Amino acid sequence: MAEPILDIQGLDSWYGRGRARRQVLRQVCLTVEPGQAVGLVGESGSGKTTLAKCVLGLVRDWQGQLLVNSPRPQMVFQDPHGALNPARTVGWFLEEALRAAGVGDRAARRARGEEMLGQVGLGREHYDRKPAQLSGGQRQRVSIAAALIQGSKLIVLDEPVSALDVTLQAQILRLLAQLRERYGLSYLLISHDLAVVRQLCGWVCVMYQGQIVEQGPAEQLYERPQHPYTKKLLAASLALE
Amino acid sequence: MGKRRNWYLTLGLVLTGLTVGFGALGLVWTPYSPTAPSAADRLAGPSLAHPFGCDHMGRDVLSRTLSGAGATLSIALAVLAIGFVVGVVIGALCGYYGGVVDALVMRVCDAVAAFPSVLLGLVVIAVIGPGKYNVILALGVLFIPSFARLTRGEFLQYRDRDFIRAARLMGVGGLRILFRHILPNAWPVLLSGLSIGFNNAVLAEASMSYLGIGVIPPDTSLGRMVSEAQSYFVTAPWLVLFPALVMILMILGAGLVGEGVRERMGEG
Ligand SMILES: Nc1ncnc2c1ncn2[C@@H]1O[C@H](COP(=O)(O)OP(=O)(O)O)[C@@H](O)[C@H]1O
Ligand SMILES: [Mg+2]
Repeated sequence: MAEPILDIQGLDSWYGRGRARRQVLRQVCLTVEPGQAVGLVGESGSGKTTLAKCVLGLVRDWQGQLLVNSPRPQMVFQDPHGALNPARTVGWFLEEALRAAGVGDRAARRARGEEMLGQVGLGREHYDRKPAQLSGGQRQRVSIAAALIQGSKLIVLDEPVSALDVTLQAQILRLLAQLRERYGLSYLLISHDLAVVRQLCGWVCVMYQGQIVEQGPAEQLYERPQHPYTKKLLAASLALE
Repeated sequence: MGKRRNWYLTLGLVLTGLTVGFGALGLVWTPYSPTAPSAADRLAGPSLAHPFGCDHMGRDVLSRTLSGAGATLSIALAVLAIGFVVGVVIGALCGYYGGVVDALVMRVCDAVAAFPSVLLGLVVIAVIGPGKYNVILALGVLFIPSFARLTRGEFLQYRDRDFIRAARLMGVGGLRILFRHILPNAWPVLLSGLSIGFNNAVLAEASMSYLGIGVIPPDTSLGRMVSEAQSYFVTAPWLVLFPALVMILMILGAGLVGEGVRERMGEG
């Protein structure tokens, strides 16, 4: 098999300094193969976002092995209101990613930006809008476009649909599945919701209090959960349905 | 987006336009020489030839108000330029990067802000000497802390937002994040701070000129004119009336613009 695009072994991570320093991640092991979508589930506060931030270099206080074999992995954030610059237009934000990537030609940036917007199901009419003039679902589509526009292969999605209602959730998840196929992307999809992860991921990791307590192929995990915490999560998600 | 008229902003812009135009005109043109005395016209009241009257030395008050407004305006703007530019840069860096330097710089800012700027201005002038440029320098430096503090607060608030993280992940450089990503969000607050700062600068210049430092006679400024007019307050009220009126309109205009900007941003 090819080299994993993300390889994490024995990762510990902390928040705070001095006496307030508190360990948040313990001995986390997780790999993502190229083209694979790996789900990370766990209750709120279990350390999922922290793991994502370690991967992206937004949290620096960690030890262990963390190999990222993709230039500039990107993140799609949970809150579609906070993920876009309120003072800037959609087009500016997309083009900024291209400017940062060294695309010098203005016309080329605009063309690429509009094309990417089309890829996430938005039109040219959204190009010059500010985030306040978009719905939550549209904003999340823009965030996805911004994450993909530099050509990154590894995308970390931190609760990408949690802030959306169920119909929109399904739409965005379908879009994510299409984009993965089209661009050969690898996902690390974080969610507290087993149903969301199930739609997209073949491999699922269950995180509990900063540790991965169980991981395996999705069907196996859903059919024959081993760890009591996984069973609890499953029962809760079935009760909701 | 309502089409409701923003009266504060409209009126403020009109007043600011008029007073700034008045001051700008005074820098390039006056009907008479603002400094040439004329014994025959001493304390002459308003007339067709001298619409604002003449002062105790027979100088045309309209000409002096024009050139005084120009001086006040240019001093206030120069003070703001120093205070705003330096303050915004310091505040942006401190708010975004934080750390020991930030803590230290903010201590200094607090210490400076704890004293009235006119008082500190007097101390600085006592050390570096009076004169227009020294007043600009002294007040400009003293205006830095308030702008730094205002800017720091804004940048601190944006630094941990997801869209700034997204920009970092895209590989956008630090300075570009500061001034192209965060600054546009901070503009409304900085603009209203600028209008308050303008008023404080006009008043600070007036206070210092009133105390006899700053603009050196026979040149004048609005503050100096009011100061010189006080002994003629009863006998020749036009000496104080016109410069004071221009100063009040100038301050009112900037204040209304600030209020209008806040109102408009609050809606958006
Ligand atoms: N910036 C931070 N400083 C200190 N503690 C934090 C910070 N962010 C998160 N934590 C703590 O770390 C733990 C894991 O948080 P997080 O990774 O956000 O969990 P999740 O994303 O699974 O909800 C929580 O107990 C949380 O309170
Ligand atoms: Mg989280």
